[in-house]
Amino acid sequence: MAFILGTILFVVVAGWVDAGLPWPDPKSDSIDENMRENRS
Amino acid sequence: MIAGHFGFAAAVKSRAHQVPLWALMLATVWLDIVFVPLFLTGIERIEQVPGAQGTYGAGLIFADYTHSLLGALVLAVLFGTVAAFAWGRRTAIVLGAVVFSHWLLDLVVHRADMPLLPANVGHFPRFGFGLWRVPTAAMVVEFFIVLVGSYLYWRAARQTVAVGGGSLRRANLAGALILLFGFTVLVLDVTGAMG
Repeated sequence: MAFILGTILFVVVAGWVDAGLPWPDPKSDSIDENMRENRS
Repeated sequence: MIAGHFGFAAAVKSRAHQVPLWALMLATVWLDIVFVPLFLTGIERIEQVPGAQGTYGAGLIFADYTHSLLGALVLAVLFGTVAAFAWGRRTAIVLGAVVFSHWLLDLVVHRADMPLLPANVGHFPRFGFGLWRVPTAAMVVEFFIVLVGSYLYWRAARQTVAVGGGSLRRANLAGALILLFGFTVLVLDVTGAMG
């Protein structure tokens, strides 16, 4: 039960809150690209 | 181990900013997610260790497909392949590695119940360093992973907001939730509350 609850809390709730932060695009394929996105 | 896997995934997010947290969290417990239907159908099973107290780490887990070394590698590759279609190679490699990290973290706590090959073909020795024999130590290690993972995530989230704009409150909330959820899951796991 702890596993099921944990999966829901982390994947759905924490994942949703995290998705609202300005992280780089998951499709960016290199570290340099991520750094450029962060700087722009 | 449950909470420790989530804590590790949070730590990975702090180094791989482009990977969505929800995908990391899904990846880190992917082996256990696949385990559930196999457990319910009796293909994989858990046996109580004779004389063991409580429920935390008190089982011999015969997850001979999902938690075999080769099985874990196959599940990691499958997860990574799906991720590659969605997000590209780099994100897929990170997610595949996080899937496999589950086997490595479990190796530390499991008693020697993790086979090399699915169904323990060849009857090779099973692996597991058995930290669960000392439940307090296993609990401390898990809590430490959650603590470090949530701190690293929170620090990275704040830096990302500082550079890219966005809500600092949301970054703080996300970090706090990871710590709170990790602690809650660990308490539920250790106490056996909710079954």
